[in-house]
Amino acid sequence: MESALEHELIVREGDNIVSPLGLDTAATLRAVVAGESALRRYEGLWDLPEPFVASLLDFGAIDRALSARYGAERLAGYSEFERLSILSAACALDEAGIDPSSERVLFFLSTTKGNVALLETDNRYREEVLPDWSARRIASFFRNPNPAVVVSNACTSGLCAQIAAMRALWSGRCDRAVVIGADRQSRFIVSGFQSFKALSPEACRPFDRNRTGLNLGEAAATVIYARRRREEVTPQMWIACRGAIRNDANHISGPSRTGEGCYRALQAVLQGVDPGELAVVNVHGTATLYNDEMESIALDRAGLTGVPVNALKGYFGHTMGAAGVLESVLTMHALDEGLVLGTRGYAECGVSHPQSLTSRHVPTTRRAFVKMLSGFGGCNAALLFKRGGEIC
Amino acid sequence: MEELVLELKNAIIEALNLEEVKPEDIDPDAPLFGDGLGLDSIDALELIVLMEKRYGIKLQDPAAGREIFRSLRTMADYIAAHRTK
Amino acid sequence: MLTIRRWVRITPTGAVIDGRPVHLEPTEDPLLVALYRQRVGSYPKFFKMDPLCRAGFIASELLIGEEPSRFTPRGDRAVVLFTHSGSFASDSHYERTICDRAEYYPSPAVFVYTLANILTGEIAIRNRYFGETSCYLLDRRETSVLAATTREAFLDEETHSVLCGWVDSPDPDCFEAVLFLVEESDEGPEWIDDNICKVMNDK
Repeated sequence: MESALEHELIVREGDNIVSPLGLDTAATLRAVVAGESALRRYEGLWDLPEPFVASLLDFGAIDRALSARYGAERLAGYSEFERLSILSAACALDEAGIDPSSERVLFFLSTTKGNVALLETDNRYREEVLPDWSARRIASFFRNPNPAVVVSNACTSGLCAQIAAMRALWSGRCDRAVVIGADRQSRFIVSGFQSFKALSPEACRPFDRNRTGLNLGEAAATVIYARRRREEVTPQMWIACRGAIRNDANHISGPSRTGEGCYRALQAVLQGVDPGELAVVNVHGTATLYNDEMESIALDRAGLTGVPVNALKGYFGHTMGAAGVLESVLTMHALDEGLVLGTRGYAECGVSHPQSLTSRHVPTTRRAFVKMLSGFGGCNAALLFKRGGEIC
Repeated sequence: MEELVLELKNAIIEALNLEEVKPEDIDPDAPLFGDGLGLDSIDALELIVLMEKRYGIKLQDPAAGREIFRSLRTMADYIAAHRTK
Repeated sequence: MLTIRRWVRITPTGAVIDGRPVHLEPTEDPLLVALYRQRVGSYPKFFKMDPLCRAGFIASELLIGEEPSRFTPRGDRAVVLFTHSGSFASDSHYERTICDRAEYYPSPAVFVYTLANILTGEIAIRNRYFGETSCYLLDRRETSVLAATTREAFLDEETHSVLCGWVDSPDPDCFEAVLFLVEESDEGPEWIDDNICKVMNDK
C-alpha cells in the first residue's frame, strides 16, 4: 500500500454539479461568477409554521433532463432524491467516459438524510427510507454489481466519501470510484435546524460580523476518481492528494471552542505543504456564530492566517451531504478559470482570528487548495487538492 | 409557586432524560447549567421546547434563555408571569 | 499483521466478550440499561442516547472498559462503524414530534440523533479520541466491505488502532452490536473475512 501511495495519484476523471443555479458544473460556475444566489425566502412551504430562507431545486427541470436522457419510464419508481443523484452521476460518467457496470468501479454515496421525506406519508420501518437502499438503487441503475457504500458523517460526508474513495483506489480495491453527494430539503430537515435555532432569516453571511445563521440548500454533485501513475499525470489534471478526518471529542452538536478536530485535520493534510502554494482554503463557513468562529481558530492554529479563505454557502446554502463534493468541484473549476471565488454575504470580519476574506472574486495563478468541513457528531474533515503532479 | 417548582422539576427530568436524578436532588436556587445537572446546549434548546409545549411560551431568541434558565426558580417565576396555558 | 485484539457482541439475548458471556445480576432493567448500570455507570449521558447509540456505546464500553490509561486523550485510534438501519429509530421518533400540525414541537434532542454518525461521536467524546470517526451505511451486512474499509483506515498515518464493527438498532427492542478492536500485532486472530464472519455470525 505504501508504494501505491508514493507512485500512484488519485486523479479526477469527471465531475458534475446539479444545483438550483444550473443543471451542470459550467452553468453553476457561470452563475456563481456572475454573483447570483439561489437563496429565496419561503413562507408556508411544507406547512412549516415559520418562514425560512433556502436554495431549492426545480424538480421539473431535473425530470426533463432525465427524460431526455433515459425516457420517463426508466425513472419510474425512483424517489426525487434518487433521480437527483442519478442525473448528477450520469453527467459525470459521460465526462469520464467510463463503464459504470464494471466490477472494478465502486459507488460511494454521501448523504445525510436521503429519502427521509418519505416518512411524512408513512412513518413505519421499510427499506426504501434507508439511505443505503437508495445507494443500491442508484448503483444498480448504472448496472454496477458492487455493494454501494453510504458515507454518513453528517455535514462532513462529502469529504469523507472522497477520502474513502481515495483509500479504496490506493488499496487496489477498485480502479475507479464514483462519489455522489446529494441531499433534498424537507419539512423534516428544516424543522430540525429551526429547533436548533440555527437558520438565518436572511441570506447567510459567512464569517461576517452580522451573521445570524445558516441557510439550507439542495443539490447533487459527483466526482469520479481514478488511480494514475505519477508520470501519467498531466498539468491539467486535478489530484486529490491527502485527506483527514478528525473528531473534536467534545460535544455531539456544538463545535469545539479550540477548533481541535478541525485543526488536527488541517495539520494532517498540510504536512510538507508551503501555505504560500495554496490558492485558497475553502472553509465550511455555514455562517452560524459558532462554526465560523471555530474555523477561524483552527485556521490560525494551523498557520494558515494570511492564506485566502472563501465560503460558498451564500450562493446555494448548506447543501449537507452534497456540500463536500459540490464545493470541492466548484473550487477546482474556478481555479481552472484562475479565480478564487468571493464569499457572497461577507462584508466585515466577525471572527476572533481575522482571515483573508472578500466578497469579490480574486484572480490567482496558484493551483492547490484545501477544502474543510465540520459537522454534528464532532467530526471534521480536510482534503488537499492540487492541479498537476509535483507536490502531493 | 412551590407546586409549580415541583411540577417543573418533574417536567425537566422527563424532558431531558435525567434518569438518575430525583426531584429532591434539584436545588431550585442552584444554577441549572454548569456542574450540577450536567446540562448542555441541546438541553437549553429542549427547555425552550418545554416552555412552549407545556406553558405556551414562545422564546424566539435563545440568548434570552440564559436569564430565564439561570435556576429552576427563575424559570418558574418566568413561567408564572408569562404562561398562556 | 492486523489482528482482532478483542471483540464484543451484544444482541437482545446477552453480551459476549471474546466468546465469553457477560454475567449480569438478575434485574428488571432492559439488557442495555442493565449492562450500563452493572458494567459502566456514572455516565448519565447514556440515558439521553437513542437506541443506536446506546447499543454502540455499551458495546464500546465492554470492548475497551478495562484498557490501561483509558481516558488519556489520544489521536491514534479511529472509530469506524457500519450500520444498515442507521438513525431510523430516531428519524421515526423525530417525525412524530412534527407530523401533527396542532402538536408541532420539533425536538432538538431527538433531531441530533437523526444523524447516524453521532454513534461514533459519542464513543470519541466518552474516550477523548481525537482521531478519525467514520460511519458507513450498508444495504446488507457485507463483511468484506467492513474488513477492507477498516484495513484502509490504517492508510491514515496517525491511525494505529481501529475500533470498528457493525451496530444496528431499527427500534429500541431490536439491536445488534458487534465491535472489534483491530491493531497491528502478532497476537489474536488475523483481521480477515473468515475470522470476522465467525464472530459476526456466531449464534
